[in-house]
Amino acid sequence: MTISELQREASHAHIHPPPQGFVSRYVISFDHKVIAVQYFITSGLFFVLAGLLAELIRVQLLQSHNTLLSAQTFANAYSVHGSAMVWLVIIPVLTGGFGNLAMPLMIGARDVAFPWLNMFSFWLFPPAGILVFLSFLYGAPQAGWTEYPPVSLHTPGTAFWCAGIFLIGVSSTITGINFMVTIIKMRAPGMTWTRMPLFVWATLVTAFLSAIATANLSAALAGLFIQLVFHVPFYDPAHGGSPVLWQHVFWFYSHPAVYIMILPVFGIVSEVLPTFVRRPIFGYRAIAYSSVAIALVSFMVWAHHMFTSGLAQWVQLPFMILTMAVGIPTGIKIFSWVATLWDGRIRFTTPLLFALGFLPMFTFGGITGVMLASVPADIHEHATYFVIAHLHYVLFGGSVFGLFAGLYYWWPKMTGRLLDERLGKLHFWLMFISFNAAFLPMHWLGLLGMQRRVAFYDNQFEGTKLLHLVTDTNVWASFWAFVLGASMLVFAYNAVRSATHGKIAGPNPWGARTLEWMTSSPPPYYNFAEIPLVLHGPYDYGKPLPYANISQDLATEPIA
Amino acid sequence: MNETRKQPLLDSTFWSVTVLLTVISGLLMWGVVIFPIEDWLPEASSVAAHIDFLFRFMAFFGVPILVYVSGYIIYFAWRYHIRKGDSRLAVGSPIHDHPGLEAAWTIVPSIIMLILGVLSYIVMPKYYLASASSVATIEGIGHTFYFEFRYPGLAQSVDNDLHLPVNKEVTIYLTSDEVDIRNAVIHSFWVPEFRVKQDMIPGMIVPIHITPVKEGTFRIICTEFCGVGHSDMVGRVVVQSQADFDTWFKTEQHMQTQGATKGVTISITGGNATAGGQLFAAKCTTCHSTGAFDERKVGPGLGNLFHDTNHPKLVTGKPANPDDVADIIEHGFSGDLGTMPNMQVNQLTDKDIANLIAYLESLHK
Repeated sequence: MTISELQREASHAHIHPPPQGFVSRYVISFDHKVIAVQYFITSGLFFVLAGLLAELIRVQLLQSHNTLLSAQTFANAYSVHGSAMVWLVIIPVLTGGFGNLAMPLMIGARDVAFPWLNMFSFWLFPPAGILVFLSFLYGAPQAGWTEYPPVSLHTPGTAFWCAGIFLIGVSSTITGINFMVTIIKMRAPGMTWTRMPLFVWATLVTAFLSAIATANLSAALAGLFIQLVFHVPFYDPAHGGSPVLWQHVFWFYSHPAVYIMILPVFGIVSEVLPTFVRRPIFGYRAIAYSSVAIALVSFMVWAHHMFTSGLAQWVQLPFMILTMAVGIPTGIKIFSWVATLWDGRIRFTTPLLFALGFLPMFTFGGITGVMLASVPADIHEHATYFVIAHLHYVLFGGSVFGLFAGLYYWWPKMTGRLLDERLGKLHFWLMFISFNAAFLPMHWLGLLGMQRRVAFYDNQFEGTKLLHLVTDTNVWASFWAFVLGASMLVFAYNAVRSATHGKIAGPNPWGARTLEWMTSSPPPYYNFAEIPLVLHGPYDYGKPLPYANISQDLATEPIA
Repeated sequence: MNETRKQPLLDSTFWSVTVLLTVISGLLMWGVVIFPIEDWLPEASSVAAHIDFLFRFMAFFGVPILVYVSGYIIYFAWRYHIRKGDSRLAVGSPIHDHPGLEAAWTIVPSIIMLILGVLSYIVMPKYYLASASSVATIEGIGHTFYFEFRYPGLAQSVDNDLHLPVNKEVTIYLTSDEVDIRNAVIHSFWVPEFRVKQDMIPGMIVPIHITPVKEGTFRIICTEFCGVGHSDMVGRVVVQSQADFDTWFKTEQHMQTQGATKGVTISITGGNATAGGQLFAAKCTTCHSTGAFDERKVGPGLGNLFHDTNHPKLVTGKPANPDDVADIIEHGFSGDLGTMPNMQVNQLTDKDIANLIAYLESLHK
């Protein structure tokens, strides 16, 4: 396609005026950038609540038989902590938050394909969260974020949990479809598949996963709700059902969901690294296509969560092999990121620190993931603190560190002001050290015999030489978990402070080359006055900007 | 802006760092090989050593991956970060990819995964497949919140106390006690020292095959959340020589027949309500509240046990009088409302039961 043809295509676009009035602007908004901020604020509130529940869990575990919480309350606390962190924090922030904030800008679009659906999708989210937390009034769920029946059927609050998670699932499905259509149909002229920024690749694959997998979660939840309220025996072995049925359907969603929670982070890291290393991302195609490979295989590994559920051995075998196979595309990504650092001109900014912190922790989580894939080894490790440690390395060391990399990176685009770098670095180091100190020893706790979801751990260690060691380790982990919680205060202070004291960012404070930096910060309602024309991929630092109708002045010297 | 640097792609510092990382990896891998797992967690079943070998294998290859990834991140970050006076517009190497390198880091992990898959597959049948050499078949049943074991030849089951002869393969059929969905829960049978874990699922009976190879007393831990008493659901497995096992078995048989002929009854007179109240708080509140009948945790609320006109009869169908309540506490009960363990499982003495009855009588609402 020649440039003149591209321009003809682009000229069809026209600009709508921004809405007037507070409600249409900030509440029932159709603007992807405002909706992104709505997601960030809502998830931020749930992050605080779920984080406080985590601290409560660690307070309880300060003693081997702490009478602070009853076993019941403790079970409610960790169940709502896990559910909220997965469905009310990580998934909405990474898809609804970052997807909405960056993706339309990065493909040079004026908004997503279906702005009304985008608004609707967001407004399913606050009621969903409120329902999940409201369950505390009616006997909150107690069986963990996985809510295995039959034990989950014994608390009436599970009905609230089902309804809440169902709503967030619908929201996730709609957003997935919306993003799929947006990325496939609305890329700026000239942006071929291999010129797409890697975050857009990651968002596309995530959108497919959300759209396809979440329906299974909805089915499982509907079954649980109907059984709980109307006593239809889906999971009742005495009437032809099976509790294992839930496990299959739940994990058929929840394993792909693991990748919904990490693929956008892969995308964020793939943007942050080249920006601050100032050289092309290493192995663009390998990183892009390995996301697709991971997504495809993610639908065929669910039963690796169920190796102790009495599956026949010939069923376990393919799930083990395919789970190990996921390690290969994931490894390709990690090695490519490390190679990107080679011979760069690296500027140590907060987003880069978070991305670099992400790499070894996610690698570690990946290695323990392979350890959990091997059936015989998993038989010992399953449902212990080894799993708790593994999943926090992947979801906190991985997802949450990547999430903060993205937040520091796109904060100036969202608000027009930079976050303070010194506070940002303090936040990083506090988080990095306290996270590792808290969660690394949990691997050993699990291997030595501490099972997950216990309010007391004196019984299984009573009379062994391990009781003191296990208690001390738990006290140590709790201490660092409190530091980890406190590190978030540094971020909160930084965020509030940036509103008045933050350096004015300008359009392109980091000297990046993707399209979201080719417009003002925050961008105008219509994003781009003229739809950009894309001539090359975005990562060739040192070359002129790859856009035909965008001023080369935007390739300015980075101010931070 | 477009500066080009004339130097080899990988300089001598890079190779020095690589050697250093290799040495660190080597030391850590040596550590993985010699780490005395046995000192921390005995390998008490025939399969345990195989599983620990797999674990070591994975740690052995995991260590260099982590060391090289972390090491190169730190080295590259130090080596290539811009110094004071460098332009912020400086750019790094324009290299986009390197097919040989990418092929290597695709193929090498694939080979490791393949070997790991084959090794895992070899270990898998060692405790799953039935074997002709099983000397005994035991039934293991998960209750809220204890493990019940039934032996062929014993009229009554033993609770939370699994005795096994050393070096003999046994088959244990695992399940959960209830199939009524209102009470049913999944438990899991885990003996860390055996490296064996299997869920006990209502409506499913799953056989596992274990050959204990070390004598000793180990823990049986429930690893599937089963309700408020989940943390307390810990039993023990005693692995003993065939002679000791036979002695235990005979004693158990003898005690059971003795108990049956004598028809032991407990005197419930002279109970102390205060002592009973303390005991209730420690032992019973996991499953019972002191509220009305409907304030159930697992079993019914017991606050109005002896004076409830809506529920004049006990779960056993007998009238609510102290002797019949004592009968339930002594022998346990299993019914629509759940399963209550007997006095041995709850570790109650005769005097304790008298105290509990006195306390329950004092609770008239």
